[in-house]
Amino acid sequence: MFKKNIFTAVVMVLLAALVLAGCGKSNEGASSSDNDAKKEEKKSGEVNLYTSRHYDVDDKIFADFTKETGIKVNLIKGEEDELIERLSREGKATKGDLFFTSDAGRLHWAKDKDLLQSVESDTLNNNIPENLRDKDNQWFGLTKRARVIVFDKKKVDESELSTYEALTEDKWKGKVLIRSSENIYNQSLVSSFVSLNGKDEAKKWAEGIVNNMARDPQGGDRDQAKGIVAGEGDVAIMNSYYFGQMLNSEDPEEVKVAKQLSVFFPNQETTGTHINISGIGVTKHAKNKENAIKLMEYLSSPEVQKVFAEANYEYPVNKEVEPSELLRSWGKFKEQDLNLSELGENNADAVKIMNEVSWK
Amino acid sequence: MYLIRKIRSQFNSWALLSVIFSILILLPALLIMVQLFAGSNENWEHIKEFMLKNYIVNSVTLVSFTGLFTVLIGVSAAWLISAYKVPMHRFFKWGLILPLAIPPYIGAYTYHGILNYTGVIQTTLRNQFGIKVDQKFFDIMNIPGAVFIFTMFLYPYVYIITRSFLENQSSSLIENARLLGKGSFMTFTQVVLPVSRAAIVGGVSLVILEVFNDYGVVKYFGIQTFSTAIFQAWFGMGDIYSAIKLAGTLMLIVVLILILEKVIRGRKQYSYSTSKVRPLQPKELKGWKKFAVLSFFISLFALAFGIPFIQLIHWVYMTYDVILNTAFVDLIWNSIFVAAIGSVIIIIVALIIANFSRLSKGWMGKLFSKITVLGYSIPGAVIAIGVLTLFLSLDEKVFTVYEWLGLEPTLVLSLSISMLIFAYVVRFLAVGFNSIESGFDKVGTVFTEASRTLGMSVTKTFFKVDIKMIKGAIAGGFILVFVDILKELPLTLILQPFNFYTLATKTFQYASDERIHEASVSSMVIICISALSIFFLHRVLEKEPK
Repeated sequence: MFKKNIFTAVVMVLLAALVLAGCGKSNEGASSSDNDAKKEEKKSGEVNLYTSRHYDVDDKIFADFTKETGIKVNLIKGEEDELIERLSREGKATKGDLFFTSDAGRLHWAKDKDLLQSVESDTLNNNIPENLRDKDNQWFGLTKRARVIVFDKKKVDESELSTYEALTEDKWKGKVLIRSSENIYNQSLVSSFVSLNGKDEAKKWAEGIVNNMARDPQGGDRDQAKGIVAGEGDVAIMNSYYFGQMLNSEDPEEVKVAKQLSVFFPNQETTGTHINISGIGVTKHAKNKENAIKLMEYLSSPEVQKVFAEANYEYPVNKEVEPSELLRSWGKFKEQDLNLSELGENNADAVKIMNEVSWK
Repeated sequence: MYLIRKIRSQFNSWALLSVIFSILILLPALLIMVQLFAGSNENWEHIKEFMLKNYIVNSVTLVSFTGLFTVLIGVSAAWLISAYKVPMHRFFKWGLILPLAIPPYIGAYTYHGILNYTGVIQTTLRNQFGIKVDQKFFDIMNIPGAVFIFTMFLYPYVYIITRSFLENQSSSLIENARLLGKGSFMTFTQVVLPVSRAAIVGGVSLVILEVFNDYGVVKYFGIQTFSTAIFQAWFGMGDIYSAIKLAGTLMLIVVLILILEKVIRGRKQYSYSTSKVRPLQPKELKGWKKFAVLSFFISLFALAFGIPFIQLIHWVYMTYDVILNTAFVDLIWNSIFVAAIGSVIIIIVALIIANFSRLSKGWMGKLFSKITVLGYSIPGAVIAIGVLTLFLSLDEKVFTVYEWLGLEPTLVLSLSISMLIFAYVVRFLAVGFNSIESGFDKVGTVFTEASRTLGMSVTKTFFKVDIKMIKGAIAGGFILVFVDILKELPLTLILQPFNFYTLATKTFQYASDERIHEASVSSMVIICISALSIFFLHRVLEKEPK
């Protein structure tokens, strides 16, 4: 008798834990097991987002969107690759309506895995330039960043700088700072070279950079900038917005570092500076497609673009919107003439090239 | 026939529950493992040719040096604190466990923040004294740096296990050695080290598993190891097969280590020979020796807890006004909630399996106790995908039920916190199980057998006798699991439900955006909750009948 009671007791405790867990979840507002009526009510008013961007400004903009439209925005914030894996495993049952990430290569990859769907929206087509969205309109760029060369004004004269390729010359031996090949921004940079110059040239470039590295790749983009001021190297390749963040850091020492440095947009006479985007796409099995499109249109609208880009020192994709004052002070630049889908198409090649030349 | 009878003789509801739990725990691992035997592909060839050697060299270097240093530091600290009395003895006794409250990834962010060009040390040298230093001396983002981080934040595993062994079980041996005129060094090398071998190996194998499984530190430092490779192959190359081959290779290494542990521990078991065990009485130290031991304790505590803690306080001061809001309170609540539920379930499951495995003399019991360790030896991300696959297929099974009810098929289980908690159970069952098993080991089966002889059933004995004798082990296990879940990162990142963040994921998000200062508030809360739990653990261990 007693044995049986224990068995039931244990099962009850486990069940209770599950139920509790379920309750906790519905408190979070992400319920799926609620009754029919509640579900109907929610259905009209929510959109579920898988995002790998974790900037606080995103949360603020989503909150504004909810205020304006009554549509609640639910989020899962993770790393892009894991989110893609999760979406693909969830298949047609997925609750995710939108996939939002900060690299065109990853967006393309999601498309390639058949996780996204085409969207016809004149608003989006008008707001976002053609090269910053997918050929089949499966994803749309929302903010833009450039991978620039940063240098110390005292040590390097701007006239010495010209192209990414020039950094592989002997002149820069032991002077180039760049982070590891695991970093997606570097992978996409090499991908762009595969597209523009072919695999062999891209490999030659990667090899040249490895030869000229000031130190083994380490740290993030900000660490490359600090490396220059610390005297470890003369030039660094980094994303433009990190430089903007450093100039506006709450840490006065970081501001000091950034102020000693300048931004240079390479390849102006040739193929253009490498750009990348944060972009978004509607998932193939989205349950709230209309709301998803509404949110995308909202994010591409001029008013939101301004806040969205400025908060993170990125460039707005909407041509009607001027970049922030800081970005304007860096000047206009010629971008790589490339449909960003290609960054994704060549990613596997890029990763292999970097491994082959032992780019750590 | 014999086999069936044998199985039947071992069968009762304890066995049944044990079987169910073991299968549940095995399933996610099996779902992944079936793919281990798939043929090789182009990516795998590429990995083998260009990277595999590097992964093995880096992982093995990290593990060996961390293992070596944690033993050196952990054992000497344990010996010094249990054999000698120094000022602030009571404080150091538990203060030296405190580094366990700092997850290595937070330690890594913080030390990088202290040492880099804009960090406090270089800034002070530059601005106050005009000294510009060579970056080489301040570079921590490399393998030696990672070994330093792991050693500082993981040595308490060795320290805590060795210390409790030395305090409780070695007094007569050590006092005899002292009486026989051995100096402290001789006592240490000739008596302490050999008798506490099992405890040391037990502690260091936990360290090794932690290092193999680490993702946060090596990713941040840009060191390529097995766990980063698994992530890169799986998510970066989109190649699950290569990832599983890597995970399989890693598991093989881990299993070898576990076997090695058993061999090194040997058959020597030091358990109570009498019911009265006197704790070791620490001796007063005098003169320079006292000073040397005290400075060792102070510097260890400073490096492994004090310095990073103070740095974090400074960053919290810089950023708290932006970070602290009502959403942050939810974050704390979420973290504590999942950690508490997860720990309760783990302790219940561990109690059931441990009790079954100790009372059944057969192979089934032994087998189950091995299965519980499995989760701890698989990287969190691999478990996560295994669990996700399992829950998705469960969800698909219930689709028909929904349709029958007239509802639209939708994901319920795989978007719920139960999936996350289940994954925690798979991952950390070993931690709770080990604690409870060692509690059972200490009391033996004498009392249980007496109670059974007096006519109580297994279950009644369990509640009336057994559970009361291992209260300390249960509390200890609960706290260890709780802290582990609180700190857990890769698994939580992959399996989180909508709008569900924990302190650990928030910390990671800020850190991966290179916003270390903003990451400090959530780091601080993790550390404080863990530190409090560790303090309770210490009290529990102190109170346990000696």
